[in-house]
Amino acid sequence: MMLVRDLFSMSIHNLLLHKVRSILTSLGVIFGVGSVIAMLAISEGAKQSALAQIEAMGIDKIIVFSQRPPINSRSESSDNASVMERFGLTDRDATHISRMDNVEEITALFDARKKVLKGLQRTDLKLIGCDYRFLEDSSAKLEKGRWFSPADFKNNANVCVIGKNVKRKLFALGNTNVVGSTIRIEDEVYKIVGILNNEYGTQYPEIGGQNDMILIPMSTAKAKFKDYTFYREGRQYKITRVEYDLFLIRVADTQYIDNTAKRVSSYLEKLHSDTKDWGMVVPFELLKQREQTQNIFTIVMGSIASISLVVGGIGIMNIMLASVFERRKEIGTRRALGAQKSDILLQFLIETVFLTTSGGVLGILTGVGIARTITYYSGMPTVYSIWSIALSLVISCLVGVIFGTYPAYKAAQQNPITVLRAE
Amino acid sequence: MAESGKSSDIVRLVDIRKTYITGELQVPVLKGINATVCRGEFVGFIGTSGSGKSTLLNILGMLDVPTGGQYYLEDIEVSQFSDVEQATIRNLKIGFIFQSFNLFPHLTVEQNIEVPMLYARVPGRIRSKRALDLAKRVGLGHRLGHRPTQLSGGECQRIAIARALSNNPAFILADEPTGNLDEKTSNEIMKLFHELNREQGVTIVMVTHNPSLGPHYDKIIRLRDGRIDNTLFEWEIAAQKKESEAAR
Repeated sequence: MMLVRDLFSMSIHNLLLHKVRSILTSLGVIFGVGSVIAMLAISEGAKQSALAQIEAMGIDKIIVFSQRPPINSRSESSDNASVMERFGLTDRDATHISRMDNVEEITALFDARKKVLKGLQRTDLKLIGCDYRFLEDSSAKLEKGRWFSPADFKNNANVCVIGKNVKRKLFALGNTNVVGSTIRIEDEVYKIVGILNNEYGTQYPEIGGQNDMILIPMSTAKAKFKDYTFYREGRQYKITRVEYDLFLIRVADTQYIDNTAKRVSSYLEKLHSDTKDWGMVVPFELLKQREQTQNIFTIVMGSIASISLVVGGIGIMNIMLASVFERRKEIGTRRALGAQKSDILLQFLIETVFLTTSGGVLGILTGVGIARTITYYSGMPTVYSIWSIALSLVISCLVGVIFGTYPAYKAAQQNPITVLRAE
Repeated sequence: MAESGKSSDIVRLVDIRKTYITGELQVPVLKGINATVCRGEFVGFIGTSGSGKSTLLNILGMLDVPTGGQYYLEDIEVSQFSDVEQATIRNLKIGFIFQSFNLFPHLTVEQNIEVPMLYARVPGRIRSKRALDLAKRVGLGHRLGHRPTQLSGGECQRIAIARALSNNPAFILADEPTGNLDEKTSNEIMKLFHELNREQGVTIVMVTHNPSLGPHYDKIIRLRDGRIDNTLFEWEIAAQKKESEAAR
């Protein structure tokens, strides 16, 4: 052990003596480790932001939504007649599902299917009726104002809470008094009581993002619009009747969420008599899938980056071999003074490993720098984990061992007689 | 060292032979060398190039193994030792001194002296203390922090001598130690060897082609063509020297 310490300080000494050469030698490892770190940071950042988005939908939730059934399963009718279309989730579904095991509660959303105009222009904003619990079940936060009160529900009040984007799209930039002002949609006027902000930009299937919603109490929506929507399609008038557009089903135990999801879907299949007028998303399952694909992505990125590490290692091996030839006299003298072959081997190995490991440290700094620069200029999130840094250190150390062994072995095999005479 | 009971021979060579085989050709270089070096002796192996003295030096220094014969070092037959054992013997029993000093330019004087002790796993504190003692013994106690490039040739060789002594070896093996030095410095170095030998009882084996007979040797063994030509003892050396001076 004592010898290792002495050899170590000797190696550092020797490397510091040739500073430029040492840095040039480890440049390959510096950039190799740097690119590995940067790649991992980028893909880890992408992974985490993707996962955060899914997670924002709620990992303890099953999302069931209404969708227009495929054409062939719709009832055909004559061209000019008005058509009444009825599909989607119903009150009865809600009642039945809420009685299932492991289902804690259901929060429903209802899309009023009204055109929200700004001046004469149509926007992609939606007027949505929601339950009282929705604030809790969404991952949004109240930015300003208040949430609906129970009285609002009871009185079918004309109040609304708008998403962040709604404010941006309907009001002038400098307008700070949005809360308290009113919105007019078709013939109704709603008073804005609060602004919601969902920082993940959570999107629901069919009805869109939380930030694009103008929320009104469910009771108000049902009282005003019933479940009917009239609209014109070509020369045809259509009436669409959808009771509910989305259920957020909260489960009691996430462990059994897939069983519960299966039960809900088999129930819906049966009750909707095989008409696919509903869909289901389980964020927890999505999360697992996404995690897997992201992990594969990370591995691929990491492997590509580590090719440069191998190249760096080969560069080091090359220079160490040259250095063994250059230092023949030193090796011979050391052998004559009593160094064992293993001492020489250890000396050269320590030098290489020290070179690659310090290259690894510089590489980590480089990689973190690259990742930060990327985040700064492109806004892409990057995350460097402790394990990726530790792994890079271990790998750069291993590169030293792998590519240093052969030169060190060569050094140890030098015959002291010929080497001493070579001066 | 408890030497009682041991013979006073440090080195005993019995019929040492060395034959190099190059392809089909066998080249005998040493053709049976018999010699002894006693404790405290100052022995010179002298021969022209091609006399086999380098080969003998390598065998004496345990860098090479003879093809025949026995090499007793402190009464132990060492000629067929393994590589690890050879390195250990070189480290502990033989103090090498080279013609071109072979100091490590990037190490300080102190670190240079410590190298053999490093391989003998001597703890750091003892190493630096011994390095100082040895540097003082060769008269360079004040240059410990310097690097070899800052020293003169004579000083370098003094440091090399200190390094050779660092593990308290059985004998010092010097290969043309004055070959790279001018006459004045050579004399100083030879004087240092003489002092070490006479005053501190260090056994010295010197291999050289220089036929000038210094007053330092106890014994001169002359090699010619792989054999011992003749052996001169101290009194004969002195007599010869007188003769040559008288003839002049």
